Amino acid sequence: MMSEFDVIVVGGGPAGTSAAIRLAQNKVNVLLVDRADPPGSKNVSGGVLWGNDLGKIIPDWEKIIPVERLITRKGTTFLTKDSAISLDFSSRKFLTNRTGYSVLRVKMDLALAKKAKEEGAMVIGGVTVDSVARKDGKIIGIEQDGDTITSDTVILAEGANPRVAIDSGLRKPIGDRDVAIGVKQIYKIPEDKINERFNLSGNEGFAGEYVLGYLPDGVEAGGFLYTNKNTLSVGVVVSPSHLRNYGQMHSYDIMEEFVQHPSIARLVEGGRLEEYSAHLVVEGGLSSVPKLYGDGYMIAGDAAGFSFSNGLVIQGMNYAIASGIAAADTFIEAKEKGNYTAKALSDYQKKLEESYVLKDLRTFKGIENSTWSSMAHRTIPDILERFLFRLNLEDGLPKKHILELLLRSVSESGHNKTSLALEAYRMMRRM
Amino acid sequence: MEIEEKLGVLNYKTDKSYAHITIDPVICETCPDRFCTFACPAHCYTVIDNKINFKYEDCVECGTCFFACSHGSVKWTNPKGGHGIKYKYG
Ligand SMILES: Cc1cc2nc3c(=O)[nH]c(=O)nc-3n(C[C@H](O)[C@H](O)[C@H](O)COP(=O)(O)OP(=O)(O)OC[C@H]3O[C@@H](n4cnc5c(N)ncnc54)[C@H](O)[C@@H]3O)c2cc1C
Ligand code: SF4
Ligand code: SF4
Repeated sequence: MMSEFDVIVVGGGPAGTSAAIRLAQNKVNVLLVDRADPPGSKNVSGGVLWGNDLGKIIPDWEKIIPVERLITRKGTTFLTKDSAISLDFSSRKFLTNRTGYSVLRVKMDLALAKKAKEEGAMVIGGVTVDSVARKDGKIIGIEQDGDTITSDTVILAEGANPRVAIDSGLRKPIGDRDVAIGVKQIYKIPEDKINERFNLSGNEGFAGEYVLGYLPDGVEAGGFLYTNKNTLSVGVVVSPSHLRNYGQMHSYDIMEEFVQHPSIARLVEGGRLEEYSAHLVVEGGLSSVPKLYGDGYMIAGDAAGFSFSNGLVIQGMNYAIASGIAAADTFIEAKEKGNYTAKALSDYQKKLEESYVLKDLRTFKGIENSTWSSMAHRTIPDILERFLFRLNLEDGLPKKHILELLLRSVSESGHNKTSLALEAYRMMRRM
Repeated sequence: MEIEEKLGVLNYKTDKSYAHITIDPVICETCPDRFCTFACPAHCYTVIDNKINFKYEDCVECGTCFFACSHGSVKWTNPKGGHGIKYKYG
């Protein structure tokens, strides 16, 4: 029996739309299904888009995607109860060597879905896929509200909460260690005020990452603040296992405490809250990557556990795009031979191994142990605060050498300098 | 700002005939941690008269409660036919 489609793509995020665009450009008969209407309207990122991979399918992507601002200023900040210790890096070099754009996902994903349609894909929003359809152990399409729609291959690109893959036994259920909880707020602030407040001009943008060192010991969370044209994206990323062990703190309170911290409150002041959102962030590293392909299917993007986070950036959209394109290319080659078995689709794994997608996951194996460590969240901010306070204090006493001040801050924080140095070294090696 | 007020700015297309997440009140009754009430970012799980009260209407479909509950009480599905949360920005 002939399939109704060559490929069905489940999910209209960056992974699914990129796959659909690439497939349609190569005359593949593709159906893209998204549970949201319009497609993409349930999606959340921070988000800074490293979009170079989009250039492979949309040469003028910087015009097609409604990007907000070009990031030219990056901030990394340790927050303690009373202090903010930052490394602020702004460079004109970013104007020519582009590092990323701030984006808002609802607009971005809709633009990508439109592009897929223009290229010839069939795009349907407001349809929830319930499961994959199987025949003789092979995946032959999808089930949706009692209907079966058939295809030679299914690309699962359903994001960080992949119900279809889980319920169909194609990956294990998500656990505390595979993800973090992301909570985000959007504030409306006039464009000129944003420029003034963040020392920007034109469409230059600021992307700030924060270590929330003021939280109670045992609760570790990161924060972010990105500038859009006339809105700010402000959010926190919380480790569920820490929240569970601590057992007394609400995820939404961590969000609220962040915007109330004096150094953040100042930046969002006067802004009107436009949106509150929450979404899982893939964090599990290599150990939570499932089997990526089988007879008649491939898994791409967050659903496959592709992401990179070192506490200073969250990257996922770029891995989603790269893996979506790799899945599409694998299908295009398989179609030439008319063979969609696991063996034919195994090329997908090969393509990812050769690209930064799986290379990065291998290089940074175990990095989650550093990003979610009390070393990064408590010890470093505490010592830095003591040290910088000392260094800047005018107390009428004879001055001390910097190294002496630093060592004194270490011992005052209750740490042994040898074991601290060893721990810091181990952490740096993983990052 | 209180969480209820934040949820108030959101748009939902609520499915009155289908609760996409359900809990088993018998399991919740004897739950030792009630971690769902801490983990859910949309304040859908609250304790009223020492019983768990669950409101699927405020859910933003993040997926957290499914693994946050380690006692097998949460049955999680996606809303159907474009129902549920609808963001403007994302
Ligand atoms: C708070 C936060 C901040 C982040 N910041 C950044 C950042 O700054 N930079 C960056 O690169 N990445 C960031 N990420 C990660 C990034 O958002 C993800 O890696 C990326 O969205 C993954 O794309 P995807 O296409 O795999 O999945 P998604 O974008 O999640 O897309 C999945 C799609 O599938 C649909 N879907 C799901 N189930 C079904 C179903 N059963 N039937 C039909 N449709 C379905 C969903 O509605 C959705 O449209 C962030 C994530 C979060 C949560
Ligand atoms: S849903 Fe799970 S965690 Fe929440 S009260 Fe019920 S059993 Fe406990
Ligand atoms: S999916 Fe997320 S928002 Fe919805 S009830 Fe569960 S934890 Fe709360």
